[in-house]
Amino acid sequence: MQLFLQDLVPIPLRDKVNAHRSDIWKRERTFNQGNCVFIQAPSGTGKTTLMHILYGIREDFTGMVHWDTYNIASISKDDLSQLRAMHVSVVFQDMRLFPELTAWENLEVKRLLTNSVAAEDVEKWLVRLGLGDKKNAIAGTMSYGEQQRLAIIRALVQPFEWLLMDEPFSHLDKANTDLAIALITEVVQMNRAGMILADLDDNDHFFYTQKIAL
Amino acid sequence: MRHNRKRKQILRKLILRSGHISRLWAALVALCIGTTLLLLSVMIWWNFQQLLNGKSDENDSLGSTFLTVSKNVTDAKMGKPQLTIFSSNEIEEMRYAPEVQDVGVLTSNRFPVYATLNSALNFSTDMFVESVPDRFIDKRPEDWYWQPSNREVPIILSTEFLNLYNYGFAVSKGLPQLSESSIKALGFDLKVGEGELQQTFRAHIVGFSDRITSVLVPDSFMAYGNRLWGHNAYSEPTRLIVKVKDPSSKAFIQYLQTNDYTTNAEQLRWNKLRAIVEVVTGATGILAVLLMALGALVFILFIELTIAKAQQSITLLLQIGYAPGYLSRFMIKRFFPLLLATAVVSMIIAVLVQTGIAGWIKTMHLALPEYPGWPVYAALAVSTLILLTLVATSIVRAIRNTK
Repeated sequence: MQLFLQDLVPIPLRDKVNAHRSDIWKRERTFNQGNCVFIQAPSGTGKTTLMHILYGIREDFTGMVHWDTYNIASISKDDLSQLRAMHVSVVFQDMRLFPELTAWENLEVKRLLTNSVAAEDVEKWLVRLGLGDKKNAIAGTMSYGEQQRLAIIRALVQPFEWLLMDEPFSHLDKANTDLAIALITEVVQMNRAGMILADLDDNDHFFYTQKIAL
Repeated sequence: MRHNRKRKQILRKLILRSGHISRLWAALVALCIGTTLLLLSVMIWWNFQQLLNGKSDENDSLGSTFLTVSKNVTDAKMGKPQLTIFSSNEIEEMRYAPEVQDVGVLTSNRFPVYATLNSALNFSTDMFVESVPDRFIDKRPEDWYWQPSNREVPIILSTEFLNLYNYGFAVSKGLPQLSESSIKALGFDLKVGEGELQQTFRAHIVGFSDRITSVLVPDSFMAYGNRLWGHNAYSEPTRLIVKVKDPSSKAFIQYLQTNDYTTNAEQLRWNKLRAIVEVVTGATGILAVLLMALGALVFILFIELTIAKAQQSITLLLQIGYAPGYLSRFMIKRFFPLLLATAVVSMIIAVLVQTGIAGWIKTMHLALPEYPGWPVYAALAVSTLILLTLVATSIVRAIRNTK
């Protein structure tokens, strides 16, 4: 699945976008499947806004966003669900877990939507990221670090061609970050997927094919 | 599908945890009572129609739909018999009057008839006879025919006349009271015509009619007599026999009144009862619809409240890839069985009531079907369909509107 952007401008950031040069805003860009893209974005440049536009959550923009033939501006609600369930997965900056469900239920509600990943695999992933004993903990009571790792695993329990990540390791220490990176790399390769990671500071968590500035 | 069940379990936890179950129950009870009332009002209306239209023979006393119609004899018309005659135009017009299915003419004798009961009783009288087309005769006897070579004339007597004789005349005069069968066994002489042309026939009564208050002879005898001995004075009829689909119909009664016609008032008494039944069923129906509307409103509000309370969860479910259509179907599957259950309960009540009514009305020698008729099922189907559509639409809209 190819991602194509053209003349993208988020309406609330119009003035800011006009004031400085960006590799994304107001440009034409194509990202091919399998690309590993790092977007470096200082605070306030619209990193989360971009992620939300790509994922179809925000509609207050001008320009074009195409996932293959899907035009995100005019996509139907059912097609958008299909896109999210089968093709594009996301790790939100603010995690967005169901606070009243247990850690395991949070994963199951996503996994059972497509049933494409075995429950045993997901259990192993929980153990790998140090959440083996948190399976039945209520998500709302878990620490940010734990919630962030849970959100990462949730993003992996579906088929996807692109993985969008918005500051995915902001609450993790070095050791946990490395564990998460290893898991993500493995599952992304398994899916032959591409990824777009947006963060504040430059890093080399993955073998990026492109590094661009927002 | 184990994973399907597990998924629904989690969805239930996320979406359907809204409290206020008492409100849901209140809505369901209101819906159930409303639906039941609606069915009952349709049922009362339908049962009354059944009784009135007299589809079955058993209801003949109510459903007798043959009326004799004549013109009112008023003070002004007295002494002017031509004013009570029906012209052929008026007869033709009657055929197209509301509810009228058939019109027949009661032909009366235009020749003298003198009856002599056998000499032992020494009873003789001048009399009149009438005839109607055969299709208007209830309980037509087998020997109901006559041709000029016959010396015997069959006669059908109104039950009313027999009663008058038995309970009035016979008692006061000290004459014997007569049963229907004994009267049929009696023969009497009928002297017909005047002077040289006078002939005597043997007459006997072959049947009794509830429908026509008259002394009836076969049409063929009447035609023969009128031709042979008839005066030409009044050749046109003064009484008509009319087959009416629904004698209590307002339009038909209106028609009678505007033309100043009169008929057996007994039949028209049903008109008043009908008006009462219409008011009662109408009022019950309106109450039922109001109750159902109220129940539906509370039910839909409950659903919308549930969805509003679960808004965050629904938003997030949509963000992780659940389709709005899937979530709508999930909600619909959860709430439809409740609505269908109320419909079933109402239907069971309606069937029980109908069976009860049928049993009760049998004791009054009337008959009603054991089970509710199609209008009751139709009312249930239509109201349930409307209800389901309203609920489904509100669910789909509420989920679609969740950002």
